[in-house]
Amino acid sequence: MKKFLVGILVFMMLFSLVGCNDKNDSESTMDVNENGKITIWAWDPNFNIAIMEEAKARFEKEYPNVEIEIVDYAKADLEQKLHTNLASGTTNGLPDIVLIEDYNAQMYLQSYPGSFADLTGQIDHKDFVDYKTELMTLDGKVYGVPFDSGVAGFYYRTDILEAAGYSASDLADITWDDFIKIAQDVKDKTGTAMLAFDPNDGGLMRIMMQSAGAWYFDEEGNPNLANNPALEDAVRVYKEIAGSNFIKPTSGWGEWVGAFNSGDTASVITGVWITGSVKAEASQSGLWAVAPVPRLNVANSKNASNLGGSSWYVLNSSKEKGTAIEFLKTTYAKDVDFYQNILVDRGAVGSYIPSQSGSAYVAEDPFFNGQKVYADFSKWMSEIPAINYGTYTYEADAAIFGQMGEVYSGGNIKDALKKAEDQLKSQIQ
Amino acid sequence: MNKNQKAKSLEKAYEKHSWGFIGIAVIMVLIFNVYPIINSLVLSTMSGKGVVMHFNGLGNIRRLFDDTVFQTALKNTFTFFIIQVPIMIFLALIIAAFLNESTLKFRSWFRTAIFLPCVTSLVAYSVLFKSMFSFDGIINTTLLNLHIIQQPIPWLLDPFWAKVTIILAITWRWTGYNMIFYLAALQNIDSSIYEAARIDGASKSKQFMKITIPMLKPVILFTTIMSTIGTLQLFDEVVNLTGGGPSDSTLTLSQYIYNLSFKFTPNFGYAATISYVIVFIVAILAWLQFKVGGERNA
Amino acid sequence: MRKLSEALKYIFLIIISFISIFPFVWMIIGATNTSTDITKGKLLFGNQFVRNFKVLVETVDLPQILFNSAKIAVFTTLISLLIASLAGYGFELYKSKFKEKIYAFMLLTMMVPFAALMIPLFRLFANANMLDSHIAVIIPSVASIFIIFFFRQNTKSFPLELVQAARVDGLNEFQIFFYIYMPTMKSTYAAASIIVFMTAWNNFLWPLIILQSQSKKTITLVISSLSSAYFPDFGVIMVAIIIATLPTILIFFLMQKRFVEGMLGSIK
Repeated sequence: MKKFLVGILVFMMLFSLVGCNDKNDSESTMDVNENGKITIWAWDPNFNIAIMEEAKARFEKEYPNVEIEIVDYAKADLEQKLHTNLASGTTNGLPDIVLIEDYNAQMYLQSYPGSFADLTGQIDHKDFVDYKTELMTLDGKVYGVPFDSGVAGFYYRTDILEAAGYSASDLADITWDDFIKIAQDVKDKTGTAMLAFDPNDGGLMRIMMQSAGAWYFDEEGNPNLANNPALEDAVRVYKEIAGSNFIKPTSGWGEWVGAFNSGDTASVITGVWITGSVKAEASQSGLWAVAPVPRLNVANSKNASNLGGSSWYVLNSSKEKGTAIEFLKTTYAKDVDFYQNILVDRGAVGSYIPSQSGSAYVAEDPFFNGQKVYADFSKWMSEIPAINYGTYTYEADAAIFGQMGEVYSGGNIKDALKKAEDQLKSQIQ
Repeated sequence: MNKNQKAKSLEKAYEKHSWGFIGIAVIMVLIFNVYPIINSLVLSTMSGKGVVMHFNGLGNIRRLFDDTVFQTALKNTFTFFIIQVPIMIFLALIIAAFLNESTLKFRSWFRTAIFLPCVTSLVAYSVLFKSMFSFDGIINTTLLNLHIIQQPIPWLLDPFWAKVTIILAITWRWTGYNMIFYLAALQNIDSSIYEAARIDGASKSKQFMKITIPMLKPVILFTTIMSTIGTLQLFDEVVNLTGGGPSDSTLTLSQYIYNLSFKFTPNFGYAATISYVIVFIVAILAWLQFKVGGERNA
Repeated sequence: MRKLSEALKYIFLIIISFISIFPFVWMIIGATNTSTDITKGKLLFGNQFVRNFKVLVETVDLPQILFNSAKIAVFTTLISLLIASLAGYGFELYKSKFKEKIYAFMLLTMMVPFAALMIPLFRLFANANMLDSHIAVIIPSVASIFIIFFFRQNTKSFPLELVQAARVDGLNEFQIFFYIYMPTMKSTYAAASIIVFMTAWNNFLWPLIILQSQSKKTITLVISSLSSAYFPDFGVIMVAIIIATLPTILIFFLMQKRFVEGMLGSIK
């Protein structure tokens, strides 16, 4: 009986070894198959999925026999599936097109070399904003089709700000220190909190840093936490905000969105993709406006920045690679009208430059009291400093927020950042 | 052939059949448990970025000693284990003892109500708890209205309260489950033992300490070991409620494994190494619990 | 004094029951309110239930998804009960040193976190070309070591005289199992089926990894994707949670009595 068991074990090992060599990517083709089927993975039914559905409908008009399946996962779930598939070395579970968050682009490209299709020359990347193309470039090859921009804005409630005596001109091109003063004033005069703030979320910090053209890493990709003036200033601002009484503390996404939807807070500072969520509260129509984001107290910090945003990637193993590329090419890299539609319907600001002269981009938005918000966003988008996010954004985020507890309770910022850098270095050895 | 030999050869004949009973299970365990385990053991000697891996020998184990995040996760996991498991087991025992009294009214109502949390899925109950424990969620609102607290408690935002919330959530989910095991075991205890104790003038709490707990020792041991495994692998609650924060104060070993594989630049080798740290710790704890809990097999 | 301690006991049990049930009440109230009301902690019934339900039905193919979950849970339960009870019975009845070693080793494998096994396991199914199938979701969980353990513990209380008598009557070993053991152990099967069904119905990580197409997803996967939207609608999510929780509650209510009896055997 023991022999029998050993036999099974040996059999299994062989089975798995044979399996490893069973790569079936030879069939993949660059031709467009008009009867092919492509699968797409993305997250968020109200945004990415809905936009993909629109793209699908447009593509199907030209290629009625191509079947497109869009599969919706939670973002973390999608990432986990993608890692498991790529790491297993098998390809039959992978989709043809996948959505990847910009911060993670280099991480996927470097961790799974050869897994993503090189789109250099297939797509005209000059038509997209620079910083989007840069983050998907590895060794001179461009791997994705840039999708939405995370150009950041300072959304505020005009009624509440006016009640405290502030008008649009007081809020344009300010520093974070100005912002803190205004916020305190608003809280004192109106009793309304200025900001919903999660002290453990790195979103605002990334907005602050990128506005100064800085990041957790230097140009060569080495950790740059301990001697990074922009980061140091950002942490200082975080500490002041966290310790103030003009915030409403929140934890997690739903609570954060709930805070401004319910009118508990007077402003939101984040990426443009939040527009849909802001507008979801129809009763606040006409009461909102958008200003440029505050800048840091360091040289060359601009009143323009970015948070999040993601892009589409084609898998190299795709059996319908040609069709998948054709699909992205005719929609995301060509169709200006498509971009007008998703802007109007979903508040999605694309990074495709030709689309930004379209009618929807220059329209006045009644929800924002007639402000041409998207024209403003387009202008700020062109000012966003391009930086290299590197491979380890979330490691750096974790390392810093591991120390923020210390900072909030009065610890020295420099020491904390030094500790975070040491931790980060040991993490990414 | 004497009787003994005959019995022996009969046993042998039956023995042949035994593989018909356990064969399928054993083969499936080999394929779906043992094979992946061997695979991940091999993996634990490697290190690298995604599929770009190299042999690292015992390097991953050495790395554990410098890895402050790992040490934080280890400390947190132990904090949860040391505080939560005893509270839950004690609570479950008391409830079971109460529910076992035949004079108790609405027994089955209480039992059903207290067991109910176990039927919820982890995904569902995480969503529920997250909305209940938000800053101006229902828990804070109620406590404020009852004047139990003056300021809302930052349940998920403060390192201390975040730990408390996690402990509350696990206790809510699993106390009823353990209680059912105790309740079942209590029905085996002859009620005359309690009768005799009562005549001797032993108080209720004395009966609980001197009769109930010793009689339930094997079950307690069993549930403790199961809870140990559960707590050491604690993952879903933490990911969904606090995401390991604030400042890593609720990060557990399992979540760190997850982060190393799926959130950070993946290092599957190092992640596998930490998995075996958990196995090692659970094995030691289970062994200790057997030693303390007496040799009687649960 | 006696009266007081009696009263305290009831108060204690009422408080514990209340805490246990409250999240369910919260879930039901939430399903009738708007997303904003839920984040504000509104504890009154609203009138949004129909709207929330409609949105849910429009976003996902609810009948299909519930059918998927039910199919997976029912088949996992049936197959798992058969395999695990055979094994639990076999390990207890035909003891040998070698088998005890296998058994101990199996218990040890329970301690390995699933995250460590996921990738090799996935590779196994990918190579067998079984991705995106419900069978691949079911198979790895049917040889549940915990359920084997559960059946073995229960078998300890199964009277051996019955086996011997049946052997004298000329029944073979499998007939004994199917005609005598199975009917006698009804409660054990009931308890095990509740545990397996709940685990399979609520399972998340493995179905997430294996299933690919939208039409094969289970209800837990749907809840997870709903709650991670840029703009999550908590009212809709609450309705989804109710629908996901109802079957397990129903099964528990139906089998409650047998369940407690069945647990009895596991702890001998």
